[in-house]
Amino acid sequence: MNAQRIGVRALQQVVRPNAFSQNIPRLMLASLQTRGAATVKVTPSEAQTILASQRLQRPVSPHLSAYDFKQTWFSASVWTRITGGGMTTALYVFSISYLAAPLTGWHLESATLATAAASLPFAAKAGLKLLVTWPFMFHLFNGTRHLVWDLAKGYKRPVIHAGNIAVWSGSLLSALGIACFL
Amino acid sequence: MAALRSTSSRLFAAASRSSAGPSMFVRSMASVGEATVNADPKSSSSARNKTFQIYRWNPELPNEKPKMQAYTLDLNKTGPMVLDALVRIKNEVDPTLTFRRSCREGICGSCAMNINGQNTLACLCRIPTDTNELKIYPLPHTYVVKDLVPDLTHFYKQYKSIKPYLQRDTPAPDGREYRQSKADRKKLDGLYECILCACCSTSCPSYWWNSEEYLGPAILLQSYRWIIDSRDERTEARKAALDNSMSLYRCHTILNCTRTCPKGLNPGLAIGEIKKEMAF
Amino acid sequence: MASALRPMLLRQTALSAATRRAATVPASAFPSRVTPFQSTIVKNAGRIAAFHASSRRSLLPPGPQVIKGTVNDAVPVPDPVPTHGSYHWTFERVIAAGLIPLTVAPFAAGSLNPVLDATLCALLLVHSHSGFQSIIIDYVPKRKYPGAYKISLWLLNIATVLAGVGLYEFETNDVGVTEAVKRVWNA
Repeated sequence: MNAQRIGVRALQQVVRPNAFSQNIPRLMLASLQTRGAATVKVTPSEAQTILASQRLQRPVSPHLSAYDFKQTWFSASVWTRITGGGMTTALYVFSISYLAAPLTGWHLESATLATAAASLPFAAKAGLKLLVTWPFMFHLFNGTRHLVWDLAKGYKRPVIHAGNIAVWSGSLLSALGIACFL
Repeated sequence: MAALRSTSSRLFAAASRSSAGPSMFVRSMASVGEATVNADPKSSSSARNKTFQIYRWNPELPNEKPKMQAYTLDLNKTGPMVLDALVRIKNEVDPTLTFRRSCREGICGSCAMNINGQNTLACLCRIPTDTNELKIYPLPHTYVVKDLVPDLTHFYKQYKSIKPYLQRDTPAPDGREYRQSKADRKKLDGLYECILCACCSTSCPSYWWNSEEYLGPAILLQSYRWIIDSRDERTEARKAALDNSMSLYRCHTILNCTRTCPKGLNPGLAIGEIKKEMAF
Repeated sequence: MASALRPMLLRQTALSAATRRAATVPASAFPSRVTPFQSTIVKNAGRIAAFHASSRRSLLPPGPQVIKGTVNDAVPVPDPVPTHGSYHWTFERVIAAGLIPLTVAPFAAGSLNPVLDATLCALLLVHSHSGFQSIIIDYVPKRKYPGAYKISLWLLNIATVLAGVGLYEFETNDVGVTEAVKRVWNA
């Protein structure tokens, strides 16, 4: 800061206005003045090149790290995608390994799976059920909400807010209920 | 005064570069930048100090990382809005702080920025009176020209691509003006108020990842404003321009746009209406 | 006010200095003769992009800013492809809407009859496929990673076909998806 002020002072002393310089016509002044730096003429295409090289230097402003995390990391939309992706992966893995079972010698018939599930301790069973049910319920609830949005309904801010709360709490509660009682 | 100072500092920078060399200059600037400046050193006990953490990046020093700089102001001596605080910082504390502003009343859209995690206009955003730090970033996932100034060139080029003007082939029946029923005019309410501040587009994760091809909420809202205008006769061409996998259908109804719009408009709804019109 | 009082000469000197710096930019900022240094610029830009304030291993690193055409050229408008646009969107919604009763019904009825069960499997498969497809379009953009885009779409196609055959085998040789889920659930 101070260094800059000193710079200003120095410059002002060099070019202090006086009666002489103010009364001279501008054209005369232009021919008289000594320029510390020569102006370089730049054609439009050169200017474009300079601008392009300046653009290459620019950083990207923070997004996921700066934006309200409730709307990025916990937005219902992205969790619909995550739960959907997870369930789809599970479905694909199961059906492809079922297809490969005769070659690999795995036993993935429903009867074998049922007996395997029956042999699990209660806590593991409940945990696994919850792990399966919550993504399903969340995807179902929020997917339905998305279908309503696709009819161009329910876009008011309070409705969106209430819907978020309903989808998160509803999916958790119903998943708990289904995992425990069904 | 601020203008003079910034020009002269640039002058000085040019002068010092020839004598001292660039690396020395870099270091001296960095130490200035990291200092926390208190505008009111002899503030009384009744001072309501608020710290503003502001994103800084200087294009003159492109190899330096962007950083957050803290400024503390006494809210008793500052206007109520975030823009007032920014202007005061620029006037009284640090003239190198760069941001766009013009109307200070939410009609120009210049001061759009990310304040405490939400995109809004600094001039319409009250400074929260709590004692937490207020974080100010440029609009998210934009290329930064300097400090809080994002480059919106691509955004405007996208706006141009939707032909934001009335297109007609038939002349007006009375030869003078294109008339519209009250009901048709009412359809434009909530659309024509958009000031293209880019708050919604830069709040949209889908736009973050695919802004080159996806048009984003603001541009789609504008597109809808022309699609439903009863006087426009190129509705089908306008819809056809959106009928591909990228321009419109990268919208996954995340609705950050609707939640963030500082003018209280509903870009999400406009996109929903476009999709509905194109589907059935 | 300051600018009004400022002497003409100072302003001109300042302007010329500023222009000269913007035009030639002698020292560290960026080289003035761009062509021979083009490669270093690009390299630098990459380093800076990795350095910015958001996370370094950011999702979909955006790369240095390149703007095609001048400021006054509009972004090119793609040709209409309804099969990837409006038809595709409507199709996806119809499938999704059809899945709701098919997934809710087993809760009420216990399990589905074979025809409905097969329908559920088919719709699930299509729904899964289009969901993954839009994930790939979003996160492996064609303009940036054309090779990876193509490979991942083909991998998805193969996986969907294999999963479809597997589900067909399961439906024909085993008890059906809803019944199997029920048995494992109640085990």
